[in-house]
Amino acid sequence: MLGRKTARLFFGLLAAVAAMGTAVSAYAQEKKIKIGVIYDLTGPLAGGGSELGYVGAKIMLDHYAKTGVEGYKVEAVYADAQSKPDIAINEAVRLLEQEKVDMVLGFFSSAQCVPVAARVEQLKKFMWITTCISSAVFENKNYKYVFRPQASGDQFGQMTMDFIAGNAQSKFGKEPKDMRVAIIHEDGSYGVDVSKGNEAGAKKAGFNVVMKEGYSATAPDLSALVTKLKRARPDVIFHTGYNPDITLLLRQAREQGLKFGALVGHGAGYGVYEKLKEGLGGDVNYVFNTDPISIWLANEKGLDPKLVPVIKMVGEEFDKVRPGVAIRSAHVGIAASNIYVFMNEVLPRAIKKYGGVDPEALRKAALEVDLAEGGTMLGFGVKFFGEGTPMAGQNERSFPVVIQYVDDKSYVVWPKSQAQREAVLPLPAGSTYSNK
Amino acid sequence: MMDIFDIYLLEAIVNGILLGGLLALLALGLNLIFGVIDVTWICYAELVMIGMYGMYYLVQVFGLPYYVAAPFTILLVAGLGALLHLLVIAPLLSAPPINQLLATGGVLFVLQSFASVAFGIDFRNLGIRMPVLKFADMHFSYSRLLAFGAALIGMLLVYFFMKRTYVGTAIRAISQDRQIMALMGVDTRRLYLITSALGGALAGLASCLLVLQYDIHPFVGLSFGPITFLICVLGGLGNFVGGFVAAFVFAVIISLGGLFSDLEWGYVLAFAFFIVMMFIKPAGLLARRS
Repeated sequence: MLGRKTARLFFGLLAAVAAMGTAVSAYAQEKKIKIGVIYDLTGPLAGGGSELGYVGAKIMLDHYAKTGVEGYKVEAVYADAQSKPDIAINEAVRLLEQEKVDMVLGFFSSAQCVPVAARVEQLKKFMWITTCISSAVFENKNYKYVFRPQASGDQFGQMTMDFIAGNAQSKFGKEPKDMRVAIIHEDGSYGVDVSKGNEAGAKKAGFNVVMKEGYSATAPDLSALVTKLKRARPDVIFHTGYNPDITLLLRQAREQGLKFGALVGHGAGYGVYEKLKEGLGGDVNYVFNTDPISIWLANEKGLDPKLVPVIKMVGEEFDKVRPGVAIRSAHVGIAASNIYVFMNEVLPRAIKKYGGVDPEALRKAALEVDLAEGGTMLGFGVKFFGEGTPMAGQNERSFPVVIQYVDDKSYVVWPKSQAQREAVLPLPAGSTYSNK
Repeated sequence: MMDIFDIYLLEAIVNGILLGGLLALLALGLNLIFGVIDVTWICYAELVMIGMYGMYYLVQVFGLPYYVAAPFTILLVAGLGALLHLLVIAPLLSAPPINQLLATGGVLFVLQSFASVAFGIDFRNLGIRMPVLKFADMHFSYSRLLAFGAALIGMLLVYFFMKRTYVGTAIRAISQDRQIMALMGVDTRRLYLITSALGGALAGLASCLLVLQYDIHPFVGLSFGPITFLICVLGGLGNFVGGFVAAFVFAVIISLGGLFSDLEWGYVLAFAFFIVMMFIKPAGLLARRS
């Protein structure tokens, strides 16, 4: 009798342990973070750089899908914003509510970032912006769940003005007040934001702003804008645009005989050298671009040593996807680096210190990120403005650099601390747009 | 104060006229089709986009000279126009106009998506640099002058085709009364097919000229489609001469508005002009008072 009872107890316990084991095993299998990834894979923004951001993001996410993070599997669910803000919002909501992703990540266009950030915050979900730069995403919004390690648009605009201010006397032989500058931009959130930075920088430098104007990136004709630029006779043109509006503007500028001393672009279309070269040929020589530094141009000595093999890995993976590219676009590295920061700084802390991957844990972990300069592949550090500050959620340690395309290579020319060579300024005599 | 009556004003006016030539060329084919078949091809600019890809592949991939590739492209898009009629328009000829509009709208998305899948989302370029005509301190693009000339010649050819040929006369007759012509033994299906192919050929011609000025991508039609449609309506849908005049009026307003104010205001003024004209002359700029 006792033996039978003991046997029953034994088998009962065995069954209970087995059941618990199964449950624990199932629970362990469920330990994963599901990430919604949104870039533009179709529409005009795709070819303008967004698809390259997607490539960079996928390289990094595929890497972490293999390794996992702190025992959590990493699963990415990709969506195409189709270059439309309304689609970006719908896809973000769909991923969060139907696909049940734990967070959303990516976003190339500022026109998408601004409304999507508002919607995601409203849903109290976590959003990690890799690429878009408009300050309007954060300015006086006091978001709790939206974070951006990327530099902001006004920083782009001010950096290029600082660059020209630092070279006005030595390269143009002019006092800042005699420098004639024109600020032109696409009229979306991105262009408007950068132009505000340009304007503030021009005011600080004491430049003579002879023209400031926005235009629609889908306008079929920019000849009137070119005619006005000819009339304004700027020494330097500060331009913010996507593509193909950049190539349309510069093609019409050549056809209408516009001359200037320098053209300074601000990311987006200017960050995709291959397309500029294809559309403009040799006219792209000596054009400047502003972006976070390409991870392949960053000074390795100034970086955290553990980042060097990661940069190599991203480069090798990119070359497999896009073999034979002359200059790897900065957009690839921007997405890869900013996702690396999340995977190495935010996610492990959220899991270990705050017990999971819910928006609250991710938010607390993000606010504790404290990387000094050189702590990311893009060279800058990371520390987010805290709640209650005007730019809550924006990285306060990010900065872009000015690069120049010279003979199918790109060189960092500003700030001086990062510069790889002297800038070629103004445009050499004989080049298409030179006013010499 | 800056003197606004300078050489740049003249340059803006001429550039406006040249842009008008481009828009007139685009409007010509759309007007022809609406005038005869009474169906608006919302997807017209997407046919132009396909033609631009045709030019790209013939010139860049197959290495044909531009002037050899152009006739092939015109034939390709003419064939596409005929195919569009056979597969989409013909079954809907007696359907309500909204159904026809939605069907061609559907084709627009099909063609955009097809181009994205087949050709990729990269911007492509023919890489041809046309010379520039310099006059005083003004510069004009030969590619625009070429488009302007092609629009003028295209307009004249279509005009004479419609007025002086038997088929053209039949097309005009069918545009006046679709039912009666069929009762009189005219093969309306054949005439519709010819008209669609002709409209497609004009789209092909436009694409040959657009590739000289614009990058090629699956969504290039978005820059031209709506504005072409507005020009056709402003000139009176189906009215070739009206569309031609409307294109120049529209383009010069855009150019001068953009010169005197922000570029965006040029478009605002042009669209405001369109709305006002819809109240004053709802049947089009050149419509006679009834």
